[in-house]
Amino acid sequence: MKILVCAKQVPDSTVRVKVAADGRSADTSGITWAIAPYDEYAIELALERKDRDPQTTVSVVTVGPARARDALRQALAMGCDEAIHVTGADAEKAEGLAVARALAKIADEAKPDLVLCGRQASDDDQGLVGPALADVLGWPHVATVTRFETVEGGTDVWKEVEGGHEVWRASGPAVLTVQKSEKDPRYPSLPGIMKAKTKEIPEKDLGSLGVDLNAPRLEIVKMEPPPARGGGKILKDGDARAAAQQLVQLLRDEAKVL
Amino acid sequence: MIPLPGREQREIAAAVARFAASLAPRIEAAEEAGAIPADVIASLGAMGVLGMTVPESDGGLGAGSVAFALVLEELAAAWASLAVGVSVNCGITEGTLVRLGTPEQKRRWLPRLIDGSGLGAFALTEPGSGSDAAALRTTARRDGDGWVLSGRKMFVTNLRYAPVVIVLARVGQAEPGRPHRGITAFLVPTDAPGVTVAKAERKMGLHASDTSALALDGARVGGDAVLGPLGNGFGPVALAGLDSGRIGIAAQAVGIARGAIERARAYVGQRRQFGRAIGDFQMVRFALARAATEVSAARMLTLRAAWLKDAGRPFTREASQAKLYASEMAQRATRTAVQLLGGYGYMREAVVERCARDARATTIYEGTSEVQRLVIARSLVAA
Repeated sequence: MKILVCAKQVPDSTVRVKVAADGRSADTSGITWAIAPYDEYAIELALERKDRDPQTTVSVVTVGPARARDALRQALAMGCDEAIHVTGADAEKAEGLAVARALAKIADEAKPDLVLCGRQASDDDQGLVGPALADVLGWPHVATVTRFETVEGGTDVWKEVEGGHEVWRASGPAVLTVQKSEKDPRYPSLPGIMKAKTKEIPEKDLGSLGVDLNAPRLEIVKMEPPPARGGGKILKDGDARAAAQQLVQLLRDEAKVL
Repeated sequence: MIPLPGREQREIAAAVARFAASLAPRIEAAEEAGAIPADVIASLGAMGVLGMTVPESDGGLGAGSVAFALVLEELAAAWASLAVGVSVNCGITEGTLVRLGTPEQKRRWLPRLIDGSGLGAFALTEPGSGSDAAALRTTARRDGDGWVLSGRKMFVTNLRYAPVVIVLARVGQAEPGRPHRGITAFLVPTDAPGVTVAKAERKMGLHASDTSALALDGARVGGDAVLGPLGNGFGPVALAGLDSGRIGIAAQAVGIARGAIERARAYVGQRRQFGRAIGDFQMVRFALARAATEVSAARMLTLRAAWLKDAGRPFTREASQAKLYASEMAQRATRTAVQLLGGYGYMREAVVERCARDARATTIYEGTSEVQRLVIARSLVAA
């Protein structure tokens, strides 16, 4: 089986994002970058399949600026077989739909049996690229996937739903957008890191893939941090009983949580 | 060439840092229980950490001392007890096996020290011999094809997790003026008859790191248990092994200090007194600035020694300098961290208290600060 995983490099989840001086973008100077968490789960799911079946090959692709190469190196160190970097001047500001179109070109070439994406990237939480990619490819899409198995006549896909899961069957190639699953993504192994060093990561220029990078366009016009939290209330007066009464009253009338 | 880590070395360190960070919720319980959980050792094996310094031809990664120093720093920044276990396994135990072992000895033992099923141990210290290591009294006597070992070893790191322990014993008698005479290293399986893993010590810090006594009561080992030169093992085994081990302790001290200072840094940004974050006060800022600078200086000394070792150049003095400075620095840095956290710093929950206790051992093991000064001085002035 041939699997293509699409991954995005985003600010690491431990980074405290600050609004840049222009008031409409995040200040990315000096921050740590990482593979988006759900994309890591997608890589893990693909690698688990490879663990069970060594014939499986896992390719990983990203659309992003030069720094995104680090995300690909990490994916290789985790155990992916090859990586493709779609980059160039347009890669930094490409929007979801343009990214999906570019990924479709890569998928056309690589001809995978399955494409795995994270369900959404943790920077913009749009959740668009996976379904849009399926649409551009004309392939079916299954969301919130936690597991898949090859069966006679296709692939069975475990899809998380409220209170349980459903098993869907795809008869041919499909795009799966992956949910957090029980098994956490593996750490890059040291041999993996040393092996990744020797692997070439081919670069493709986004501008020359022949995809429409323009319409329809969205732009962020304003970014605001959440309002600073006000100081709490401290009930100091009276004995425990009086304080408890006061607390209940505040929870009911002011906070309206009771 | 300057001893700065390259990209691959930094990536290895970053991967280990990430793994170490994931252990945070479990560390307190493991320290209470006084043991490193088996699955943590197994994970280090699976990641390739436990064989990282073993050459590829012997089944390891051949990653070198610089990468290893960075890895130990990361482990120690998160959890010093774990760094100690890894340091002893990879440094002195595997290192000695790789340098002096026969192909058969390597084939038999290295895989078990690499795969995460246990951690190797090295037994030198005895009740009557510490800094004066050559005064050891454990004996080895020929018996048929094999050897019989008798004696007591103390303060053996990892012994409880070890499939094999390298034991320094004397073959024949010591002679006046030739205290090293007869000293020989033996690979002793911990399940050999006559071998007892005795009492685990209760220590000031490093609670999850095992430090146990080893009793050898006529312990029988095969003729193939001799590791390195027979009767002349003190220099090539004990002294050479300690040189490398010292780089490991230096790296560990850098990590412990850095971990404590990082925690203090986070705290002073949040803790408010007199209407402002205490990190706004110059005395707090200066304390952090000094500690952070000393951490950097210690790291450079450590990486220099590691780099010399990787380059195949002499590094005895540099290893001692790194160990001496880094371990003494770690006392100051962890003390600063505890002080900056004030009352909270003295509490278990804040972790810097653990850092301070763990750091204390670094001026003592693998040669005390006094021994390091002796080694350094000897390289400067003829006796």
